[in-house]
Amino acid sequence: MFFKEIHIRMRIILLFSCLLFILVVFRVFYIQMFEYKKLNTLASALWSRNLPIEAKRGIIYDRNGIILADNITTTSLVLIPNQIKDKKKVSYELAKILGVTEEEMDRHINKKVSIERVHPEGRRLDYKTADKINALNFEGVYLVKESKRYYPYDDYLSHVIGFVGIDNQGLSGLELQYDKYLMGENGAIKYFSDAKGERLKMAEVYQQPQAGINVMLTIDHNIQTSIERELDNIVAKYNPDNALIIVMDPNNGEILGMSSRPNFSPNNYQQYTVEEINRNLPIWATYEPGSTFKIITLAAALQEKKVDLHKDTFYDKGSVQVENARIRCWKAGGHGHQTFLEVVENSCNPGFVELGQRVGKESLFSYIDKFGFGKKTGIDLNGEGTGIIFKIDRVGPVELATTSFGQGVSVTPIQQIVAVSAAINGGNLYQPYIVKRLLEPETNSIVEENSKTLVRQVIDENTSMQVRYALESVVSKGTGRPSYIDSYRVGGKTGTAQKVKDGVYMVGNYILSFIGFLPADDPQVVVYVAIDHPKGVVQYGGVVAAPIAKNVLNDCITTLKIEKREGGTEMEYNWMDKKYFDIPNVIGMNKEDAIKELKSFQIEWTGSGKIIIEQSPSGGERIQEGSKVRLLLGEN
Amino acid sequence: MKHNKYDLLLFIAVIIIATLGLIMIYSSSMVWAEYKFGDAFKYLKAQGIFLIIGIILMNFISKISYKHYLNKANVIILICFVLLILVLIPGIGTIRNGSRSWFGIGSLGIQPSEFAKLGLILFTAKYLSKNQKKIKNIKKGVIPIISMTILFFGIIMLQPDFGTGVILVMSIIGLLFIAGVKFSFFTKIGILGILGAIGLILAAPYRLQRIMTFINPWKDPLGSGFQTIQSLFAIGPGGLLGLGLGNSIQKHFYLPEPQTDFIYSIIIEELGFFGSVLISGLFIIIVIRGYMIAINAKDLFAKYLAFGITFQITFQALLNLMVVVGMVPVTGITLPFISYGGSSLLITMISVGVLLNISRYQEDRLR
Repeated sequence: MFFKEIHIRMRIILLFSCLLFILVVFRVFYIQMFEYKKLNTLASALWSRNLPIEAKRGIIYDRNGIILADNITTTSLVLIPNQIKDKKKVSYELAKILGVTEEEMDRHINKKVSIERVHPEGRRLDYKTADKINALNFEGVYLVKESKRYYPYDDYLSHVIGFVGIDNQGLSGLELQYDKYLMGENGAIKYFSDAKGERLKMAEVYQQPQAGINVMLTIDHNIQTSIERELDNIVAKYNPDNALIIVMDPNNGEILGMSSRPNFSPNNYQQYTVEEINRNLPIWATYEPGSTFKIITLAAALQEKKVDLHKDTFYDKGSVQVENARIRCWKAGGHGHQTFLEVVENSCNPGFVELGQRVGKESLFSYIDKFGFGKKTGIDLNGEGTGIIFKIDRVGPVELATTSFGQGVSVTPIQQIVAVSAAINGGNLYQPYIVKRLLEPETNSIVEENSKTLVRQVIDENTSMQVRYALESVVSKGTGRPSYIDSYRVGGKTGTAQKVKDGVYMVGNYILSFIGFLPADDPQVVVYVAIDHPKGVVQYGGVVAAPIAKNVLNDCITTLKIEKREGGTEMEYNWMDKKYFDIPNVIGMNKEDAIKELKSFQIEWTGSGKIIIEQSPSGGERIQEGSKVRLLLGEN
Repeated sequence: MKHNKYDLLLFIAVIIIATLGLIMIYSSSMVWAEYKFGDAFKYLKAQGIFLIIGIILMNFISKISYKHYLNKANVIILICFVLLILVLIPGIGTIRNGSRSWFGIGSLGIQPSEFAKLGLILFTAKYLSKNQKKIKNIKKGVIPIISMTILFFGIIMLQPDFGTGVILVMSIIGLLFIAGVKFSFFTKIGILGILGAIGLILAAPYRLQRIMTFINPWKDPLGSGFQTIQSLFAIGPGGLLGLGLGNSIQKHFYLPEPQTDFIYSIIIEELGFFGSVLISGLFIIIVIRGYMIAINAKDLFAKYLAFGITFQITFQALLNLMVVVGMVPVTGITLPFISYGGSSLLITMISVGVLLNISRYQEDRLR
């Protein structure tokens, strides 16, 4: 029948319709099951607004855990303009509290942004101001915690540490270089908002900020303090153009201390010039090294067996003729007849020209290259200089001669200390470094650790030993005597380099330097001091820089608990030098015998009696001639 | 002829779905209404009045024998035609959302195109039942009614209101299918439809963009993909149980006018997957009852009328749901019974009234 066909077609459409309704349900199911994650994340990002909470920046420690860069927590004002109902009132009140004009405040409050910071008046508020704002309890006005960088030792180590900007972003030094680690991850208070930015009445989500990774340096706080103190003294005493000191462990390349003048205060970095901030002189400065460079020539000559320090001799007549150039010794008239050990002790220029010539151009420049000159040392700091060394094909006899005693080359302080360390530590050139390890902030467990990196062995242990011996001799008998520390076997070399300006040597303008180490039988610390153009003093490195190095070395002895040594070369005394003596043990002696024994010292008596029962300093210690010895008398 | 009780299940399902719609209109519109009119109940009140009038009208219509329409069909379609012409005249018809399809009475509006949808079904049902013999002859039987449909579609497209036009055309094609027109005709219609679609796209390139963004809405998330993405942002996070009645986030200005075309997504956001099962379930009940009424109807006119009404509601509902879940490009069609819209609700309730009336005259053997 006719109806039948209609009914069949109707049922087809009915079935089809019902299937489509079910399909829609399945589609909803599919979206919620398989696209849930993506959609929820995107929707959350759309709905939620974040009130940022700044993460605590990683702390910078010295090698013993002393804090060099810290954080202090402050409060900042954050506005959400869309949530502020009575804009006029809020503007008036906030302007009053913060001390800004109402127009200025209006600008912030009416800004078309989701979150507005009142910068800088609303940043880093004190408790009183924060309390006042909190008491107002306005909608859309929030106070968030922010952490601010703080440098407890201010300008101390400033070039290395660097500083951060207002948003805690690293701007220079390690703060910039390790910014990625130090900055951590900011947290937030998340709340839901409608499409117009109004806050919805829903629960907030607190996203905890993740503190930054802590950085531990190889720097030793005590040694650094010593360096800073000595640099301050240099500035006060000599008013130099600039000055720098580096202290390094020669056995692994760890920098124990490093600083220079001028420096800056990272807490107030805005007050300094870009040059003052950016020029980390110990790694940036390049200049003619002068006599400290002779150590390299010495090492090369010894390694190549071109000289026997004791047997070979040299006659210095005050100058030497090389091709058309007449090279003078620093001592007018010359040093006369010397062994080569004495050549080193006297820092005799013609003697070193002879050594350079014996080694030969190719070989000497290969040593210079192997000792790391002319290229960056690779220290983990920004802004390192490379220095300039003659191209080998442009080296003639004159260039060879001047290079032998440190003229006509240009090096950085860090290159010198690294090279000399290699010369005295057994011949191993280590890459210097200043970041010891990165520490996880919660547990202080080690995230990453730097260890010593051997670049290459340059000379052998035997050669190195001879270099140490010669340099100890320089301090006990030669130009380095002002750095002599009794029973600690200081080795070292002075340097007095004329500065060059526009290709011409400047008159009366020198960089005075000294590189010293101790103990000479097993060097544990190397100190490099350079003072650029000190005023009102004899222009000799031995006179100006060596005593400074001695002070720093003395502090290193205490800090690193370096033991006294035996068998060092005794200092050769000039008439004006104070001598050192072992104190004999006089306990148990009578007064007369004790006076005889202690004839080089002052005696201070206490107590009554005939027999000495106590003595200070005790027997066996070494003190300077004429020092006071206290003796306590008593009855036996 | 016997006067049976009308189909109670259909009646109950319609009351439930329309009430649910009213609740959801309030829930989804309150933020928008508060912002726009300072009255969160604005849309609830308007739709509430229409729903009450609609239920009264449905009951009233259900008591008027459908047979009266057989005589009035020509007059009704003429009135619809005149109204459709009048609404195009500026000053009489007003523009809302870019279409001149309203007779504005205060904030309430009447859309003559909604009435035309029912009017044309009435007319076609009458035509088909009177010309049963001619149906197999395409030229004599089908072309006249197709011409009539294209005429109405054309006038509606002048507003323009593509969604309503498509529903109108599809209802008539559905009726022709039921009436036994040969399959080959529908393939021709299909080809014609595709050519027409291409023509429409060429006339207004934004339509192509809609189709393109349907394929990947993320291509233009702030432009043509906006609504689809915002709809997915409501559906996705809703989950099994939803965020709870009243807790939608998307209704806070993210999804514009959430009480209209995309109300289904807000329902899923607040009531979850169960909400979507509930809505689909209610529609399936209504659709099955509608078809049963058509199948059980005694005379051909009643059959065509019941089928036409049911098919129209089904098609519109499916098209809306599939747009909301991203299965079909955005067309701008409301969800029957649920979306906000006075004349749409009124005409749907009247249609159900007609269905209920037909259900009173059913053959016993099929009940």
